[in-house]
Amino acid sequence: MALDDDYASSSDLEEEDYYLSDQEEDAVEEDVLHGLEDDHIEECRWSESSVITKESLLAAQREDLRKVMDLLAVNEHHARTLLMHYRWDVERIFELLDQKGRDRLFSEAGVTLHKSNISLTVTVTCIICFEEVSPHASTEMDCGHRFCNDCWTGHFIVKINEGLSRRIKCMAPKCNTICDESVVRALVSVDHPDLAEKFDRYLLESYIEDNNTVKWCPSVPNCGNAIRVKGDAICEVECTCGMQFCFACLQEAHSPCSCLMWDLWMKKCRDESETVNWITVNTKPCPKCHKPVDKNGGCNLVVCICGQAFCWLCGAATGREHTWSNINGHSCGRFTEDQTKRTEDARKNLYRYMHYHNRYKAHIDSMKQEATLKETIQAKIAASENKDSSKIKDYSWVTNGLVRLFRSRRVLSYSYPFAYYMFSDEIFKDEMTPMERELRQNLFEEQQQQLEFNIEKLSGDLETNFHDISDEKIIETMGRVINTSAIVDGLCKKMGLFVITAYIGI
Amino acid sequence: MLDVSRVQKELVECNRDKQISGVSILLHDGSHDLSHLTGSISGPVSSPYEGGTFTIDIRLPSGYPFEPPKMQFVTKVWHPNISSQNGAICLDILKDQWSPALTLKTALLSLQALLSAPAPDDPQDAVVAQQYLRDYPKFVSTARHWTEAFAKITSLGIEEKVQRLVEMGFPEDLVRSTLKSVNGDENLALEKLCSG
Repeated sequence: MALDDDYASSSDLEEEDYYLSDQEEDAVEEDVLHGLEDDHIEECRWSESSVITKESLLAAQREDLRKVMDLLAVNEHHARTLLMHYRWDVERIFELLDQKGRDRLFSEAGVTLHKSNISLTVTVTCIICFEEVSPHASTEMDCGHRFCNDCWTGHFIVKINEGLSRRIKCMAPKCNTICDESVVRALVSVDHPDLAEKFDRYLLESYIEDNNTVKWCPSVPNCGNAIRVKGDAICEVECTCGMQFCFACLQEAHSPCSCLMWDLWMKKCRDESETVNWITVNTKPCPKCHKPVDKNGGCNLVVCICGQAFCWLCGAATGREHTWSNINGHSCGRFTEDQTKRTEDARKNLYRYMHYHNRYKAHIDSMKQEATLKETIQAKIAASENKDSSKIKDYSWVTNGLVRLFRSRRVLSYSYPFAYYMFSDEIFKDEMTPMERELRQNLFEEQQQQLEFNIEKLSGDLETNFHDISDEKIIETMGRVINTSAIVDGLCKKMGLFVITAYIGI
Repeated sequence: MLDVSRVQKELVECNRDKQISGVSILLHDGSHDLSHLTGSISGPVSSPYEGGTFTIDIRLPSGYPFEPPKMQFVTKVWHPNISSQNGAICLDILKDQWSPALTLKTALLSLQALLSAPAPDDPQDAVVAQQYLRDYPKFVSTARHWTEAFAKITSLGIEEKVQRLVEMGFPEDLVRSTLKSVNGDENLALEKLCSG
């Protein structure tokens, strides 16, 4: 295998490096580690992302508000209304400002910049409650509609309770203006401070919910964090709580499978449709009690546990009198090709599914076992760090290796459902010729094997009892771990590229 | 809390010109509950509903006027935006387009407008809507037939019904109001009189 050679030679080189003086050794190690960390960001399907906690949510929102307020010279309320309408996409607002012009940009979002400066001295009639009120007991919105404060408050309360805090419109019919948040806050908090709080929270959360680049972390129990991605929104992200998920479908990370494949696969595994298939392939229903009966050998006369005898070939009820080759009074020699073919297909599909599912399951199981490894390894690290006889104090390469192991193990495991769908007739029937498919499948399986090989190697090295062995051996192991990690990463990335070229548009 | 004073003012305002507007609102069944009303609209001229009187059940939620009133046709009506089964109405101002500045009267006037201008692309009753689009003449004749059968109280018929019910021993004014609330259906009126 070509890669094997690569691995051997580079490993030799690294080992040579490690027989240098202590100081240089450290430098080399840092370099390698550093290189690995940089890699992290570029990894396939892992876009650059940042975590927004409850505390930083306000600051993140302020930053975007400030940008819009500065550029368009509007107040905070108008900036927020614009941002909510355009889904917190600052770039897009600036773009639309050029295309549509200020007036249309504002009116589409429900921002009205008109304020009459006429100060009223006489009483006004509120057309909602038909009462006469003094001017200071009424409020005029940006759009110029004036109603009494009691009616405004009633309107706000209903809207907040309906969960529509982010788009409370003016009460006038067909008026599109979004009510000034400071007015809402001031009026509602007079009698309902709890609702005012709720209103503020909704506004704050709009930053996440009305935003295409930010999503809540789907962890259970929920960590309350949100993730913001920069760039492609079809990617996988990791929250500080440890949850790794697909940003597009909010399911656990499932690369190299596409969201559709993953959804199909999970459903397939869940409803055990293949078990049903097995039953249809290998059993026949009893003509009397309809229980599935399988044939455990012998002639074509089978007897159900209910006592009913029937012909295995056609499934019809018969008497018990029979010889090896025929059943008394029964004949069904006619050959039906259609039926045989259907049975054949079902059997083939079942074996195909079992092949992929077994491997998928095996790696999932390994992953579960390796999860327990984390704790034992941490214990080992602690023991080694306190060992006086050893000069090696930095064991971050072990934890780094472990992270690589987990991630690549998952990619490997999920590459089986990917292959199951990618190289079947179901989804991609018209996308490629059988020849092409075979070629791609070979290539993919080659990569899969390499990945598997290296993951097992990495797993083996990480299980080394490094607190019992000499420093030299540890350095040797470290070299191997760092090297294999890099190879595994490379392979995952390659697989990612393969996947991207394979299912563009799916 | 239901704004009682507003509802009272609305009732007075609406019934002041009911001869001209063709819409009116009464308390439901002569009770004193302001949250349950009965509206009636006359079928618009030069529509299949002309000549009919349509009764609408109106319920006011506690958040009224900040929440829209709930309206439903009691009179059976053949119209793409009104369910032929239960009288449910598909009209935007009764849902998300409601504004507290609208009133029961404007809502009823909107219903009247809906009767003369159906919106078959946003249907409540798919069967009616399909007929409206595919076989308009048949739609018109069905709608007219329904109007004749369910929305018209012939004065001759009503007097006979009143008389029959009075003979059964119910007071005349109660018989009249009950018959009116069920749109002249004698059997329903009898049921109501017996249970009430």
